[in-house]
This record gives sequence, structure tokens and C-alpha cells, in this order.
Amino acid sequence: MRALAPLVLLALPLLAQHGRYLSDSNHPSIGDPVAIAAGTKLFMGSCAGCHGPDGGGGARGPNLVRRSLWHPLSDDAIFQVVRKGVPGTDMPPTKLADDQTWNLVAFIHALTGPASSNPVPGDPAAGKAVYWGTKAGCANCHAIRGQGGSMGPDLSNVGGSKPLAVIREAIVEPAKDLYYLGNEAATVVLKNGQTLRGVAKNRSNYSIQLVDSTGVLHLLQMSDVKNLTLSASTPMPTDFATRLSKVELRDLLAYLAAQDARAAESKGSPQ
Amino acid sequence: MNRLLLLSLITALLGTAQVRHEDLAKGPGNDWLTYSGSYNGWRYSPLPQITAANAKNIVPKWVYHVPGTRGLRSSPLVYQGVLYITSGNSIHAVDARSGRLVWQYADPRAKESGPNRGAAIWADKVYFTTSDNYLTALNRHTGALIFNKKFADVEKGTTSTSAPVIAKGKVIVGSAGGDGGMRGFVMALSADTGAELWKAYTVPAKGEEGAETWGNLLEWGGGAAWLSGTYDPELNTLFWTTGNPWPDYNGSVRTGDNLYTCSLLALDLDTGKMKWYFQFTPHDTHDWDAQSWPILVDTEINGRPRKAVLHANRNGFFYALDRVTGEFLRATQLIDKITWAKGIDDKGRPIILPNSEPTPQGNWVCPSVKGATNWMGQSYSPNTGLLYVLTLEQCGMYYRSSQDPQPMKNFSGGGATEEGGQVVLRALDPKTGKRVWEYPMTGLGRMWTGTVSTAGNVLFSGDDDGHFVALDAKTGKNLWHFNIGETLGASPITYSVDGKQYVAIASASAVYSFGLFEPVIGVDPPVIEFKKEGLN
Ligand code: HEC
Ligand code: HEC
Repeated sequence: MRALAPLVLLALPLLAQHGRYLSDSNHPSIGDPVAIAAGTKLFMGSCAGCHGPDGGGGARGPNLVRRSLWHPLSDDAIFQVVRKGVPGTDMPPTKLADDQTWNLVAFIHALTGPASSNPVPGDPAAGKAVYWGTKAGCANCHAIRGQGGSMGPDLSNVGGSKPLAVIREAIVEPAKDLYYLGNEAATVVLKNGQTLRGVAKNRSNYSIQLVDSTGVLHLLQMSDVKNLTLSASTPMPTDFATRLSKVELRDLLAYLAAQDARAAESKGSPQ
Repeated sequence: MNRLLLLSLITALLGTAQVRHEDLAKGPGNDWLTYSGSYNGWRYSPLPQITAANAKNIVPKWVYHVPGTRGLRSSPLVYQGVLYITSGNSIHAVDARSGRLVWQYADPRAKESGPNRGAAIWADKVYFTTSDNYLTALNRHTGALIFNKKFADVEKGTTSTSAPVIAKGKVIVGSAGGDGGMRGFVMALSADTGAELWKAYTVPAKGEEGAETWGNLLEWGGGAAWLSGTYDPELNTLFWTTGNPWPDYNGSVRTGDNLYTCSLLALDLDTGKMKWYFQFTPHDTHDWDAQSWPILVDTEINGRPRKAVLHANRNGFFYALDRVTGEFLRATQLIDKITWAKGIDDKGRPIILPNSEPTPQGNWVCPSVKGATNWMGQSYSPNTGLLYVLTLEQCGMYYRSSQDPQPMKNFSGGGATEEGGQVVLRALDPKTGKRVWEYPMTGLGRMWTGTVSTAGNVLFSGDDDGHFVALDAKTGKNLWHFNIGETLGASPITYSVDGKQYVAIASASAVYSFGLFEPVIGVDPPVIEFKKEGLN
């Protein structure tokens, strides 16, 4: 799995910027808040049982947001899937009117876009308290607008760059056996006896670029390194699904969804 | 544990090196901290390792390919071994020794996608502007966003392309977009918060002094400030150049001098108040922005010691002004062929020749619309006492359209074409304004690259056919060349890490770093231990 990592590093930022459903449709419902709201209602009633309330996947249906990364569909193709179902699978056909079906397409289209661009359930103010509190401890590793740690990726724009389901997955199901070069927890013992702990932002056989646990960057030559130890799993804690209550998680997601580098200007500081 | 971590974080940040005003004011050493290296705009480095004698041993050390870009305009910064390069709406921090990426930050939702000329650094933050006018401040170690702040509206025709200049905690930014109708300005923002401190318009408002030099187009008059300027800490004065009036080629709708376009402005750093201005090209109709470096040099001019500001202008002339008073001291011819003016009178005003205006049928004028020089990084070496300017010997056709001006519709009142031409790198003597040597280049006059000079008496420059070259700064003799193989549109810098001098330049799509040859020793792959449990 590890050999995959460098490729993923390159691909991820591109994929993560926008949802992957190809937006080649000019249908007026796409991007229309009224249509999306109507679609949300329909989705909660007829689809969420299988696909999860945020399209993040459930017992009987796939994660639609992830699926859009490897199986991008045009809006028209989504329309056809919703109408006709996927024969031979659990995905059923529907008998909805055209405009209702388009409302669903608008919702799915929005799902794969940045979380900040969609209505999100939960109380962001309560989620802020969860985020900065000691029970979750998110701020020890993640920064938002200059506050917080540097072991994990900056979350100042997480809502502005990632769909809600992707954020949720990163929290409740952090990559089990694979994580990305750029986020490796590393301990480096140098030949001069100094020990540095932190996150390897990048490394090769010749050099390593390490941000230590105090947030300071060290540019090291591997020829100066005596010992390099890497964590075999992601530093992101894996127990948030149980450590946090359902409500805490919902609110936390509402807070993260609101973290948008292009909206925060008017909202002021997060703390 | 959690609380401990946060605590150590705070103390560590206080303990790490920060870029201070003194560091910026000192100018380059191992680091290269502002667009032109120093406030005086010299693009000169005291690094002595690479010399005219050993330049033949220069080899490439690394290449960093900037993802998804084809037209880099950025001059890198270097601080403590990290090189920062901007592209349109993104910035990349690269290990300056190895070329390995440390972090990158992109703002793909920016509403425009123009080029970007570079970053700025202050305290623990790196700054750049998005093309839609967000000043963005990032943690220099991690690339984490600290703040971003919109300082102007793209809806009003303004975009942002220049590297910010930071002086005494003020981030100075300018405005691009003058060719489509907008009102130019220079602005100071707080380096801590991005809050606006002052804004100096380059075109007066109705009723203000200078408004009488316009018709009714004031509010769209242009005068963009799209290149960063220079700063004299002693005078506490910023020197900023302004672009052409709008519509570019049709002057009949804006009768008068069109202040303060095509000018050099001396602004008070604290207030933005104009101390003086000097207009190079009154009532410009050839798109001759004054965007070229105002270089601050103390030297003897006309037999008197002067605090001078030197300026090689797109209109074909090389100027020297007194930078305390703005007094015109001298102008000499920068290029051989100038057809629009006979010369510059003793007040500094061009003596216009007849039949040099754009016409509906087109008029042949020298220099071309690209100008006798442009924003290419010039360099002044205190070692040789010479100023190095990339000049363009080129003429072109200028056309006028009589359509009604429509702002923000890509309307410029006409058009221009460039024909043939040759780039010549010239060494000028600031004392006399005369040429000391020149280095003609092969190419089509398409480059935008510039120069850097060093204490080793080497002058580095891009050339017009995609080579990076080293010249003897005293004589102009070619010492070394390397074919980068792309049209060069950015200016080189030099820096040092671990006692080794590097010279870096962005090509259209990548950053190259060069240094003196030394054998590369084979390295065994590292032994890495993987631990199941978290490490920290
Ligand atoms: C009974 C469970 C179930 C229900 C209810 C359901 N789906 Fe599905 N859906 C599936 C399964 C299973 C798949 C995967 C089909 C496959 O294997 O290709 C799927 C696939 C999809 C796809 C992706 C198709 C593709 O080719 O990538 C979309 C879009 C979709 N469903 C939308 C909806 C919508 C909208 C609703 C509500 C109207 C809905 N689904 C209801 C189970 C369900
Ligand atoms: C011990 C450090 C640590 C803590 C505590 C932590 N994280 Fe993380 N987090 C990480 C690391 C490291 C990654 C990168 C994961 C990877 O690449 O596998 C990450 C990834 C993420 C991501 C994905 C971001 C991206 O850009 O891909 C999100 C979202 C996230 N964390 C949110 C949280 C939230 C919310 C909390 C608190 C509930 C939290 N994290 C607590 C270290 C941490």
C-alpha cells in the first residue's frame, strides 16, 4: 500500500477541490437552492436508507461522493440512473416526475461539491466547542486560521474544498492502512545526537522535510540521519466514531463545513 | 499531553527566527527576502562564491516543476533554506537545497487566473495575492492559512499580479487591469491582519487636483500599479510606477496630461500621501506603462552628488530624478530608434514629433507597444557601478478605434502590433546615462526575464531564446549558458545554503537552481523503521 502514496499525494488535491460529477448540464435545478432543498427532502425519504443521509454510504448502498471520484457521472447520467435504477443491483428504479428527479440530481450534484456550499445539519457554534475542546483535541494537530497544531493538515478551508461526506469519512474512518506521504508521523535521530519528532511533509532517499511538533520546519539531508522511524498508521486518531456522540459529531461537521477560506472573511475569527 | 503540546507550540513559535524590518532593510545575503532582493531595487547580491573566473563550472542542481502552469512570472524568495515561488493563485515552498516540495497552497476558486510575480515574507508569514485581490498570509513552516483578506473588487476591473512589498509591518499592494478601464491605486494593508491602512489612487477623483487633466473618464482612467515598487527607509518614501491611461490608444476622449498615469509616484509609507510625482509620458497613447523598476542610487549626476532614482522607461528614454524632490535631472536615449519624440526637454517633458499618434489606418512608431524596456528585473551593481537593463529595439503599428469606450469589456480604443526587433542587454553608467557595454540576444523579442548581479562580478540573465546566461558584469563577456528550452518570463535570484551559492530562475513551467559543480556521492537507501503505534 505504501508504494501508492506518492501518486495519491499528487492526485488528491486535484480531486478534492471539486466534486467529480461532470457538470455538463445546464438544467436550471443545478445549483438552485430551492431545488437542492427539495432534493434533500426526497433523498432523506427514499435514498438515505441505503446511501446514508449525506450520501456517505450505508449498509445497502455505496458512498456516492467517493464513487464520484472513480465513476464520474454527468448530471444527465445521474438523472437516468435515478429514473431507471441499476439493473441487477439493489439500486431501484423510481417513478418520480421529471422535476422531482432533477431535484434529486441537484442534491447529488451539490453533495459532491464543497461542504460550505450546501446546507448542513447541526449547530456550528456547538461544533466549535467540540473542535477546540480537550475531549476531541482536534486543535492539537490541526490549525484553523493560524491557531492550533501542525501534525495534521490545515483545516482553514476544509469546508471550502471538500464534500461533507469526505470530511465525515476523514474523521470517523481515517484511512485504515494507507495514508498520504506528506502526513507521516516521523521520529528522526540525527548523527549529531539530536532527536526530532513531527510530521514528514515530504521525504526521499536523499532528504526529508520535517515539521516538528512545535511547528518548526527542519530541512534534513538523509546523510545526516542516523535513524528514521515512521508511524505505520495515520496519526489521525481512529476512535472518533465512538469517542464523540452522534450530536457532537454532527455539530463538529457543521463547524468544519463552515471553514471556508473564501467565506470566513465576513465571519471573523474562529476562536 | 494535549495541553503540554499546545504550550510547547506557543513557546517554540516565539523562539524561531522571524523576518524583521532590519532583515528586509539589510538586503540580500544568504536569503533573498523581497521581489528585487532589497528595498532599493538593486537585484544585487553580496554573495562572492560564483565569480567571473569560475562561472564556467556552473551546473544545474535541481528543478521543481510547478504543477499545472505554463507561464510563470514569479521571482522566488528564499528564507532559511526554503524557496517560495508563486504561480497564478498558488504558492509553493520548496527545499532550496534539494528542490523537494515542502508545502503548497492553492486558491482554485479565485475569480481570475492571471499571472503572479512573487511573494513577500514578514515575521513567520509568507504573503501573496490571488488574481482576484485576496491578500493571503500563510505560516511559512507549514503553509497553513493564517488570514486572507480581499482588498479590491474584480467587479471594478482590478486584478492583482505583483509581489507585495512589506515595510515596517505594512504590506504594499497594487492594482492591475488598466487596459480594460479601472481606477488604479496603491494600498497599504496591515501585515498582521490584512486590514486596510491607506489607499492612494493613481488617478484623481472629480474636483481633486489633477482632475482637470482628464475628460470625463476619470473613474475608469487606468493608471494601474501592477509592478511592486521600491522603498527608501531614510526618506520613508515608497517609489511606485503607474501604467497607461485608458482607453490605451484613443487619446481624443481624455484630453490633457492624464495625471498620474505613466508616472513615478513618491508616497509616504505611513500615510500614502503623495510627496511628489513625475510623469514620463503625458497623455500616453502607446500603452507605455511606466512599469519598470525605480532604482535608488546615490551617485554624482551633472557633477553633483544626488540621492537619485533611476528609471529606464518603456517610452525609450532613461531618466534620472532627484528622489528627495522629484526634480528632473537628465534623460538619455535607452534604445537607438525613437520616432515619437525628439528628446526630453529640461523640465523632463518629451518633445513630441508629429504624426506619432495611433490612427485608424495604423501608424508606424518606435518603440513598439512592448516598449524600449518593460518590467523585466533590472539590476544595479555597486561593485561595477553599472545598471543593467534589458532593452528592446523594436517598432510597431499603432491603431485607433473611435468606438465609444466601454470599461471592463477588453476595450482599449485600438490596438498595436510588434514587428521584428531585438533584445539587447545594456550596461548603463548612472552618472552619465551612457552605455558602457551591450549584449545583443537572438530571439523574437518575446521574453520578460530579467537580471541579478553579484559581488563575484557575475551578471545572470535570461536571454530571448530560452537560455540562462552568465556574463562578466564589467565587460558583458559571455561566461556560461544553459538551454532551459522555454521562453523565460521571470527574473533570477541568488541565495546561499550551507555555504553554497545557488542561482535560481523560473522558466515558463518550472524553477531551476544552479550552483558550482561538485561530485555527487552515491547514497544508500535509508533504513526506515515502521512503528504500529503513534509516535508523538
Ligand atoms: C435499496 C438500496 C438503494 C436505494 C433505496 C437507492 N439506492 Fe442508489 N444505489 C444503490 C446501490 C447498491 C448502488 C450501486 C449500484 C452498482 O453496483 O453499480 C446505487 C447507485 C446509485 C448511484 C450511482 C450510480 C453510478 O453508476 O455511479 C446513484 C447516483 C444513486 N444510487 C442514487 C440514488 C438515489 C437518488 C436514490 C433515491 C431515489 C437511490 N439511489 C436509492 C442502492 C440504493
Ligand atoms: C494526533 C493528531 C490528530 C488529531 C488529534 C486529529 N487529527 Fe485529524 N488528521 C491528522 C493527520 C495526521 C491527518 C492526515 C491523515 C492522513 O493523511 O491519513 C488528519 C486528517 C484529518 C482530516 C482530513 C483532512 C485533509 O485535508 O485530508 C480531517 C477533516 C481531520 N483530520 C479532522 C480532525 C478532527 C475534526 C479532529 C478532532 C475531532 C482531528 N482531526 C483530530 C492528525 C490528527
